[in-house]
Amino acid sequence: MSQTENKSGSLRTDFASREEMLEYLKEIFPAEYANSPQVSETRGGRKAAEQKLKAIDPAQYASTRNSLEGAVTRLSPYLRHGVLSLYEVRRIALEHAGEGAGKLVNELAWRDYWQRVYGSIGNGIWQDREPYKTGFQASDYAAEVSPDLRSGKTGLVCMDSFVQELEETGYLHNHPRMWLAAYLVHHRRIRWQAGASWFLEHLLDGDPASNNLSWQWVASTFSTKPYFFDKGNLERNTAGIYCRVCPLAQRGCPFDASIEQLQSRLFPNQSSKPPQDNFARQNRGGGKRR
Amino acid sequence: MSQQEQEKVLVWVHGDRLDPAGEALQAYPDAPAVFVFDQELLAQYRLSFKRVVFLYECLLEIEDIQIRKGDVADELALVAAELNCSRIVTVNTVAPRFAEICQKLRQEKKLPVEIIEPEPFIELDKDEAEELDLKRFSRYWQAVSGRALSLKY
Repeated sequence: MSQTENKSGSLRTDFASREEMLEYLKEIFPAEYANSPQVSETRGGRKAAEQKLKAIDPAQYASTRNSLEGAVTRLSPYLRHGVLSLYEVRRIALEHAGEGAGKLVNELAWRDYWQRVYGSIGNGIWQDREPYKTGFQASDYAAEVSPDLRSGKTGLVCMDSFVQELEETGYLHNHPRMWLAAYLVHHRRIRWQAGASWFLEHLLDGDPASNNLSWQWVASTFSTKPYFFDKGNLERNTAGIYCRVCPLAQRGCPFDASIEQLQSRLFPNQSSKPPQDNFARQNRGGGKRR
Repeated sequence: MSQQEQEKVLVWVHGDRLDPAGEALQAYPDAPAVFVFDQELLAQYRLSFKRVVFLYECLLEIEDIQIRKGDVADELALVAAELNCSRIVTVNTVAPRFAEICQKLRQEKKLPVEIIEPEPFIELDKDEAEELDLKRFSRYWQAVSGRALSLKY
């Protein structure tokens, strides 16, 4: 009998501590450990999920979710793996907050929607659903995430911090996900599929449906226009914590321009029609999936 | 004796339904349960260690579960043979990989697979579900929001 498996080939389930479990899993999953050895503080399991479920505040969620410090639920890893069901969270949110739960229920519905699309197109979620509306062809985008971006060494404090958080915690607030995705696809002109694969490696809530279709929404292959953002949007929703310490904040920040300037800089081949929807998104606190 | 009583069942727990009170575990509370880390999928997605740890912690809260690693259908068939189980029971998921494994269990391993539907976000009958317009979220939301926002459904 080996140290790692019992006689029948099943893996151990008897651990005196988390540390003991981690030591064991390093032996059992050497490739995953070699790829990225970090361990998240977010614990798996129904008990941890129920604690988070008890703490949800649907009304606060509705008014503060855009801010990095907002009352987001952090339920997504548990929903992704079916530790909690969408129905159960919807019911509890409605019981707690009635009509005030509308925004949270709407967000849960996004997850149901992505699953239905996944059920309908299967592995087609890896293909562009529609052509890019950026003025570029799919072949204009690079196939791999650039090493500086993947290693969090772009020099942009915001993006590098998001990459570090992704790798260390397996979680990113929705806004940083969208900002990082928009930076990768539109500023660095990398295929969304490369970014989606990268996120799936790390996000504890990484689900091919929600993840890939959200990336396609940013890229514009599953939406009517590309999603992008300006410095003001990022600064406002992060309380300026990144811009304050960023050496590029005063000179060289690629997001420090008006929406029209960004539009013409990022999508020079596109018609010059003003991106009204992006204005609207920015003005109400930063784009949300449409 | 009913057919169900004669047949010994093996519950297959997978990564899309890890609730210790999930539908298949509830339906067969005395049946042995198995989870298999899909070795090929782990490599394909280059999953990071933290994702494996999170899954493992979820699994440790499922009573008496046997955890394995390898080819999912092969491992399930092996355990079924060891425990004299003649049928696999699991919870449905839309992931294409799930359908591939079920097909392999049925065709190659000659093991029947009972698939239980998970608790839906909102109840829709088959026709309603098929008629849903999934082109954009807004169209879907328009069709379901009334029910989604009501405790009656």
